[in-house]
Amino acid sequence: MHIIDTDVHESFASLKDLVPYLPEPYKSWIGNGAWRGFSQPFAYTSPGNGNRADVKSADGSASVSDYNLMRSQLLDPYKLSYAVLTGYFYPTGLKLQYGLGSALASAYNDYVLEHWISKDKRFLGSVQINARDPEAAAREIDRMAAHPQIRQVMLPVVDDIAYGHPMYRPIFAAAERNKLMVAFHHTTFAQGPYGMGLHYMERHCLIPISLMPQVISLIANGVFDSYPNLRFMVLEGGFSWLPHVMWRMDREYRQGRVEVPWIKKLPSQHCRERLRLSTQPTEDISGEDWGKLIDLMGTDDILVFSTDYPHFDFDDPNAAIPKSLPSGTRDKILWKNAADFYGLDVRESTIPNQAAE
Amino acid sequence: MAKHVVCQVSDLEVGKIIPAKIGRSPIIVSKLPSGEIRAVGGRCPHQGADLEHGCISGHTESESVNTLEYCGQGETLRCPWHGFEFSLLDGRPIVEGTTHLPMKLRFFDVQIEGSDVVVTV
Repeated sequence: MHIIDTDVHESFASLKDLVPYLPEPYKSWIGNGAWRGFSQPFAYTSPGNGNRADVKSADGSASVSDYNLMRSQLLDPYKLSYAVLTGYFYPTGLKLQYGLGSALASAYNDYVLEHWISKDKRFLGSVQINARDPEAAAREIDRMAAHPQIRQVMLPVVDDIAYGHPMYRPIFAAAERNKLMVAFHHTTFAQGPYGMGLHYMERHCLIPISLMPQVISLIANGVFDSYPNLRFMVLEGGFSWLPHVMWRMDREYRQGRVEVPWIKKLPSQHCRERLRLSTQPTEDISGEDWGKLIDLMGTDDILVFSTDYPHFDFDDPNAAIPKSLPSGTRDKILWKNAADFYGLDVRESTIPNQAAE
Repeated sequence: MAKHVVCQVSDLEVGKIIPAKIGRSPIIVSKLPSGEIRAVGGRCPHQGADLEHGCISGHTESESVNTLEYCGQGETLRCPWHGFEFSLLDGRPIVEGTTHLPMKLRFFDVQIEGSDVVVTV
């Protein structure tokens, strides 16, 4: 059995790691501490804060930035065929100083290429962009797409203008012309309809509610129809909500098509054909309920496995995806659907993997 | 076969819904822009709304986002409740794809006899 992990968070140790990759004047700004980076507006409550508590450097300090540690804790023991790096430093979070945001995205991409992607052929990369400057983002996508391990554009969930808005079209056009996929991930600034709630638990429960509107926005505003070669990955946003969203969109489309006739397929059909959802954090439902959910989705092509390493709500592939599922379906979740999504050649003979047996 | 006079030819207008009865069953009658007359079962196949209160309009098409082309005026029936659209040309829903709902209008045979519009059942 193979495993493809579609959501792995590499990081830098410090924002100053980006200084060598920044042009002036931003190099001096960041080098001089003019901005300290994003800070989450809440306290983590798990033993390792935002990470698994066993993700530690050799000196015992918490680590999120060590390739060798990731290799020893994730890539090798689980014999991952591929790990998709998705970051968690999203310059789109800057609501001003777009030039700085775009420069930070470029610098981060160069940092990740040198310190992560180049070190292991199992890594696949995401292009980080400043989505608030879509033309600059498109140029960054064009720049990064030449690297063979870069397979997708990362769009972090924003709290104001959802990604179906026409302003973002240059980003989707660039992804399509470079044959990249598009992924969405929550952020420290993603919000539900009533903000983040009053507790971390609430904030974490509300994350799927920040992803659902992105799917609705993309379909309602014709992104699926306008870019027929793009496919879309929702990471760490839950998956058990998808039947509801598909049914609701179909119903709304039937009664409101007069307003949105550029949608050429039932929204549920768009979802089944070109939307993929990563499984972490699984919701500890029974294998029987997994089966029901997949039946309700109408296909077992949608779910793709992810660990979310090194974050605290990590999913272990041996435990998170029930072995009671039909083996064909479990294989699709653990690797085949992701291999199809990213166009990966995963061969039995070349990449043996018995970690989950 | 029974014949039912459902309205007068002079009642017909493109875009106008004329309610009628076949026995106790409601139908609606309308004239298409082509001049063809439609006699349609009076309940929406979705949830049974009384189509007498619906509207006959066109429908929209689009090849690019936020650009609408309005077409087929007089050939689309919209349900008074949910706004589901049906083609009066063939009775099919504008949005296809439902497998578990019998989403097709029922058409009746209709002809003109003198000044009468007659439905044969």
